[in-house]
Amino acid sequence: MNISPEEAARALGEIEASRAAMRTTVRGYRGHYMLWLWGGLWVVAALLVEFEGLHSLLIFRNWLMPAGIIVTFLIMLFQGTKIRSPVNKRFLGVLAIIVIFAFIWPFVLRGRATARSDFAYGALMAMFCYIVAGIWFDCYLLWIGLLISALILAGLFFFPAFFWWSVVLSGGTLVGTGFYVRYFWR
Amino acid sequence: MDELDAIIHQPARLQIMAALCQLKPLSQVDFTFLKTKLNLTDGNLGAHLLTLEEKGYIAVEKTFVARRPKTFVSATAAGRHAFDAHAAALKAILKAK
Repeated sequence: MNISPEEAARALGEIEASRAAMRTTVRGYRGHYMLWLWGGLWVVAALLVEFEGLHSLLIFRNWLMPAGIIVTFLIMLFQGTKIRSPVNKRFLGVLAIIVIFAFIWPFVLRGRATARSDFAYGALMAMFCYIVAGIWFDCYLLWIGLLISALILAGLFFFPAFFWWSVVLSGGTLVGTGFYVRYFWR
Repeated sequence: MDELDAIIHQPARLQIMAALCQLKPLSQVDFTFLKTKLNLTDGNLGAHLLTLEEKGYIAVEKTFVARRPKTFVSATAAGRHAFDAHAAALKAILKAK
């Protein structure tokens, strides 16, 4: 098959136009809604503990977290009508194991927890899931997970106002990353 | 050197392959959504998808979402490879100009 350079240029132009149209759509599927949602919930949880004490985390566990999970499923359901990826059952299995162990460990280590360490533990577990997802799917979640885990540990051991640290640098990092991947990532 | 692929070179199919290859591997796109994005008609898109499917360049999955029939389309590994080779051949023609 032979074509002229002009025809080749036109074909490449069509490819670029089609890619550009799809790129706009794909930009809406980078996970920023999840980052905004869970980063926002993280900020709320840290503020609750800062102002109301550790017992207020029950509000987070009993109300905000289930609401977050429902909204997460609604986002997935809505986005899945246009572009979808097959569910990776092996990955879901790994996540389930992490969550189960995350619930078991506090009972094993009972007696040493403080409000700060309890909060940091939950946050580190969430970031553990991000890191696993990042390695599994070879995506930016690995780096967010590592960065925020380091920030959590730094805040826990070296920063007195840990919950404010958590609001700005942990929840804030998630929300900020959401804006970055949505608007600036090429 | 990569060669041009007559199946992919047809303008509508070129658009379809370019759009599908922009997605992550294994990701699927809804038929209606693709039709709107590429400004094609139902019949036109359906015919081109059939040609690409017969060649093994795309996979078509028919399913039900909320009790409504839905068709999802994705590029296969062979399709991605063929598309990349076709795009490389086009660039080579331009370079040789």
